[in-house]
Amino acid sequence: MNLHLPDFAPVLPELTVMLMACAILVIDLFLPQERRHITYGLTQFTLLGGVALILVLATPDPRITFGGSYVADPLSDLLKSAVLLISAVVFLYARPYLQARELYKGEFYVLGLFGVLGMMVMISAHSLLTLYLGLELLALSLYALVAFNRDASAASESAMKYFVLGSIASGMLLYGMSLLYGITGSLNLTGVAAGIVAGLTSPDLNLALVFALAFVVVGIGFKLGAVPFHMWIPDVYHGAPTPVALFISAAPKIAGFAIAIRLLVDGLAPLQESWSGMLLVLAVLSLAIGNVVAIAQTNIKRMFAYSTIAHIGFVVMGLMVGNEQGYAAGMFYVLVYALMSAGGFGMIMLLSRKGFEADNLEDFKGLNDRSPWFAFVMLLLMFSMAGIPPTVGFYAKLAVLQSVIQADLIWLALFAVILSVIGAFYYLRVVKFMYFDKPVDDAPLTGSGDFNVVLSLNGLAMIALGLFPGVLMSLTAAVR
Amino acid sequence: MSLALIVLLPFLGALLPGLLIRSGRNACATATASVTVLALALLLVHTPAVLRGEVVQAGWDWLPGLGLNANFFLDGLGLLFAGLILGIGLLIIIYARFYLSEKDPMGLFYTYLLLFQGAMVGVVLSDNILLLLVFWELTSLSSFLLIGYWRHLPAGRQGARMALVVTGGGGLAMIAGMLLLGQMAGSYDLSVILERGEQIQASPLYLPTLLLILVGCFTKSAQFPFHFWLPHAMAAPTPVSAYLHSATMVKAGIFLLARLWPVLAGTDVWFYLVATTGLFTMVLAAGIALFKDDLKGLLAYSTVSHLGLVTFLFGLGSPMAAAAGVFHIINHATFKAALFMSAGIVDHETGTRHIPRLGGLMHLMPVTATLAMVAAASMAGIPPFNGFISKEMMLEQAAHTPWAGLPWLVPAAATLGAVFSVAYALRYAVHVFWGPPRADYPRRPHDPAAGFWLPPAVLVALVVIIGLFPEQTAGPLVRAAADAVTGGALPDLHLYLWHGLTPALGMSVVALLGGAALLWRYGDAWARWRAGPHPEAKTMYDAAMARLVAASQYIIHTLHNGALQRYLAVMLASAVVLGYAAFSGAAHLPGTRETLEIFPVAGVLWLLMAGGCWLAVAHHRQRLLAVVAVSVVGLMVSIGFLYLSAPDLALTQISVEVVTTVLMLLALYFLPKRTPEESSGARRVRDGVLAVLAGVGVGGLCWAVLTRDFSTISGYYLDQAVPGGGGANVVNVILVDFRGFDTFGEIIVLGIAALAIYALLEGALRGPAAAHLAAWKGDMPRAADRHPIMMVVATRVMLPLALLVGVYILLRGHNMPGGGFIAGLVVSIALIMQYMASGFQWAARRMAVDYDALIGLGVLVAGATGVAAMVGGYPFLTSAHDYVHLPWVGEVELASAMVFDVGVFLTVVGAVMLALAQVSRLGLVASHEPANEGPMDFDPSTPARTARRDPS
Repeated sequence: MNLHLPDFAPVLPELTVMLMACAILVIDLFLPQERRHITYGLTQFTLLGGVALILVLATPDPRITFGGSYVADPLSDLLKSAVLLISAVVFLYARPYLQARELYKGEFYVLGLFGVLGMMVMISAHSLLTLYLGLELLALSLYALVAFNRDASAASESAMKYFVLGSIASGMLLYGMSLLYGITGSLNLTGVAAGIVAGLTSPDLNLALVFALAFVVVGIGFKLGAVPFHMWIPDVYHGAPTPVALFISAAPKIAGFAIAIRLLVDGLAPLQESWSGMLLVLAVLSLAIGNVVAIAQTNIKRMFAYSTIAHIGFVVMGLMVGNEQGYAAGMFYVLVYALMSAGGFGMIMLLSRKGFEADNLEDFKGLNDRSPWFAFVMLLLMFSMAGIPPTVGFYAKLAVLQSVIQADLIWLALFAVILSVIGAFYYLRVVKFMYFDKPVDDAPLTGSGDFNVVLSLNGLAMIALGLFPGVLMSLTAAVR
Repeated sequence: MSLALIVLLPFLGALLPGLLIRSGRNACATATASVTVLALALLLVHTPAVLRGEVVQAGWDWLPGLGLNANFFLDGLGLLFAGLILGIGLLIIIYARFYLSEKDPMGLFYTYLLLFQGAMVGVVLSDNILLLLVFWELTSLSSFLLIGYWRHLPAGRQGARMALVVTGGGGLAMIAGMLLLGQMAGSYDLSVILERGEQIQASPLYLPTLLLILVGCFTKSAQFPFHFWLPHAMAAPTPVSAYLHSATMVKAGIFLLARLWPVLAGTDVWFYLVATTGLFTMVLAAGIALFKDDLKGLLAYSTVSHLGLVTFLFGLGSPMAAAAGVFHIINHATFKAALFMSAGIVDHETGTRHIPRLGGLMHLMPVTATLAMVAAASMAGIPPFNGFISKEMMLEQAAHTPWAGLPWLVPAAATLGAVFSVAYALRYAVHVFWGPPRADYPRRPHDPAAGFWLPPAVLVALVVIIGLFPEQTAGPLVRAAADAVTGGALPDLHLYLWHGLTPALGMSVVALLGGAALLWRYGDAWARWRAGPHPEAKTMYDAAMARLVAASQYIIHTLHNGALQRYLAVMLASAVVLGYAAFSGAAHLPGTRETLEIFPVAGVLWLLMAGGCWLAVAHHRQRLLAVVAVSVVGLMVSIGFLYLSAPDLALTQISVEVVTTVLMLLALYFLPKRTPEESSGARRVRDGVLAVLAGVGVGGLCWAVLTRDFSTISGYYLDQAVPGGGGANVVNVILVDFRGFDTFGEIIVLGIAALAIYALLEGALRGPAAAHLAAWKGDMPRAADRHPIMMVVATRVMLPLALLVGVYILLRGHNMPGGGFIAGLVVSIALIMQYMASGFQWAARRMAVDYDALIGLGVLVAGATGVAAMVGGYPFLTSAHDYVHLPWVGEVELASAMVFDVGVFLTVVGAVMLALAQVSRLGLVASHEPANEGPMDFDPSTPARTARRDPS
């Protein structure tokens, strides 16, 4: 028996993040509170270093390693870079908030990095097991992060809910995967796809396949937060500390999209007809519930939660179409969504300060009087979420709608548009509050330099990407 | 390329006002104006070619993947609109310079204005419907900024938001319409789409497309039933109203109707939808306008009415009517902008625009009065002004149009609209400017500086000139634009002031006389209007919003009430539905395998297990009973394993069962005897149904699987156990050898779990939790003899035996049922018994073993076996085995896996004992009793058998 080592080169970014996370965990133990910025700096260094590594190592051909259970291809390169960058932005936004509330601890960064590692594994997974491994690593980090502020009972409660629901969803996903493994005899996604093609000839196996698929869809639906598996989102967004809600709302959705692509599109391609039908139901429900319920929210974090659900409806719609154009549109949407969501939560954190969370819609009243610039930034974000040109949110919606129409699902496109109109209402309400109401709270906005710069860039990205959407769009089209 | 420049110039120029405002208001205004002049000049360069009928095109690919190209084209229609937008825009810029006061941030205003201008020009010059959409929504956005410009007025805010929601929503509807249109035509380029009219009208998607696009157009152009937002947006500064509501934004909807006329018009649906809406809006809005006391409110409704007129003309679907519509667009833009500007002057000078407070201004501001009255005359359709000509053309078309077989309906309605129109136009002139001057104007009015009234004067001059020489001035432009609208289907068109004695002239005369009469009896009419119903669209809008919010709240209360149980129920129910949906539509036959007969023992076991389950569910509130019931189930499971010839599993199961039950009983000590009732009956039923459904599903699956033949992988392990792993006990070989890595991971997890329990309970021993614990009172009496002598003696005797059994099980594990895991549990039980018998403190003093160190040691030992294999050049955890002959003992097989098993053993003992020790410490704190010194409750050496403590 000879020692056979797998090719480690494609997983170098993951290894870096993992080793750095472990190193930071240990280093942080020895840091006094006033030198916590070293932890922060190392975390950012890790994330940006990871991006650099991905870019350096990127090749146009997929590289499969670890006995076919891991793949690095252009798709994973793009999505992983996005996850790392968005997470870097998240950590940057989170810092002042944590500092002001005695939550500035190393755990946040270590858990965050492990979550990022989980997402990277999910994105690059090429076997059912790897995928599940990444998913659970992310989920466990998130459960802990939600309960991160141990003194807040709301946070503990939502963490508990998240944990219970998440465990059940993971269990269902695992059940579906085990059925798939049983039927196809392979854990490897290519093998699964081949096994399905063979299995489709037998009516018995066919039935079992669709049955397994249903559970896989439950798991993916939960990760993405599509109705009816969305229940955790509002409570978790509301209960978790704002930086954690921000973290959960942004990058994990990209990872969720990635596993949908890996599992459904790569692994279960022969069953496309069946999963398209299921996703269609999820998309319709998500659009309806997300948009309609968001209207009545007075808490902006809850509003974002429902708006997330509605956005996920669009993403799922793109997936549902089941062709390259739809996947590219969905990917574009999810990337744009992550950016918008990061900006939205960033604004909440800008307005908040110690003892004041700024998570009510009312807290945005009269923002234009307090800071015209950040009112404008929020305006861009809201317009983008509503899908009004020339912000990038418009192109995201447009691309998805176009793919839906080309799939001859006119009614679905109309439905999505009507609900987007309803959705526009609550985004514009925020704008109205900012521009036309008197401020309730007139404390000066406290944001450090880097925070303000990045938040401004985040807002301006809405319009910049709106003017040149081709940059990102051609990227998403190229990797799909 | 200069075409794109026309569109881009205002956007680029939008930077200038902000930069130049520091150099003074004049510089700022001049810069803004020069941007517009430049754009206008570029447009003029192309004018001759366009008037000759050529189409100028320019563009480049922008987002080819989406079919979105930055293509622009300029034809007659585009020229007409771009000219209006830029021309009137220029006048507005000059006018605003004088209108805005020192306090208003002028730079911002001009920036918004230029942005808006650019967006409008973009709409009318786009050759790609998606690009058009982008500009279309940009107009919504920038107009929102303009309308809300005066932030201190609450009405302005309301108006701005409503305008944005209505037009923004319409715009979103149009996205869908445009996408459908592009789908039908196969291209998003207008020049292509315009040639595919027949193909599109034959498509089944025609109707939804038409409806969606009309929603967009009607919301933008404030047509019934979306007309309500426009008058509310009138709180904007007058230059904005003048610009947006005469020449530009509201005309965007009209523009699109005209633009898509060749593609969409000509069908019955088009006629009934568009013409009817237009006609109805025209009459309704004219009626409302007459009774508005706010000068700008009157103008706002009159705008709605005139837009209705143009919509009506386009709706008729005949080329001649379309040409009339095009002509009226020019005329309306000129006189309406002039009217808005003069209204602004009146407001600016007198300080009010409330009509009943005005009157007699002709004497005080004659220039303004003249301009306003000429423009009003044109609006009323009085010759020789331009409004008359296009209105004549409209009436002419109306006179020949039957509606659903009724020939009189359309002419009558058009005439009625004209009557109102004359009345409110005259009211504007008469009630504001005529009569004696009043003494109580809020401010002393006089004619303003020339720069202020020159812009409306230019427009009024146009009103007169076009009215007198229509053919020479507007003729070529109208022909070019109408040609573009109708796609070349236009018959010979000539514009005359005098058409001869036609039915239209008769209708005009009726309208004039009727309007004059109506104004003469204004008091009566007003009283009657007051008495009638006033369905206020704004309240309906608010009510609709309130209903939507209520519906949303209802969903929140039913779905997202915060209860985890409900979330779980929804999730499980969805999974059941999904699973069932996947499952349905196929035959659900059981397999063909013969079922085995039921042995009586198995039947009894099964019944006992079911009974245990039922007991646990039925009595789950009585915690002790529930634990007992659950342990019955566990026992049955272990016997089941034994019955199915799996002694290893049975051994493991039963030792785990014992340990967990003991730990659970220890924990129960801190809990009330009964679980409080928390859920309602209905919810229990729901949960029961879900549970039964899930259970039946799993049962069905088991049945389906077990009745089929299957191949297992056990054969491989059975064959390989001895040659590959050197052990006859396959289960153990799998655990320590074949899947040793898994086991290694598992013992690490076990160790971490024990440490986590330790840490969690450690938290309970400190801080507020500890105080709570110290004050804790048990709710049941406790037995006097906590450490009964029988138990103490028995466990002491048992201890060495039990330990020996543990070692025996560990050693034999490789070949016979047993192994490190089971051995660890057995030893743990033996130790636990000591703790139970003699109390924690007593036992702990005699167990000088560091449990966390034990865990670590176990993991290290297991890990070391793996590393040893690597040192030998094999992969991690490769096992080796050999046989040695020991004296007296005989042949003994030594496998490296055995050392690994020792590691497992140590970890299990450490983990279980650590958890137990910690729970016991908790119990010690809570029991408020001193630790016992002796091994049992009394000292056997003293004769008196007295209990140490009275239970009460």
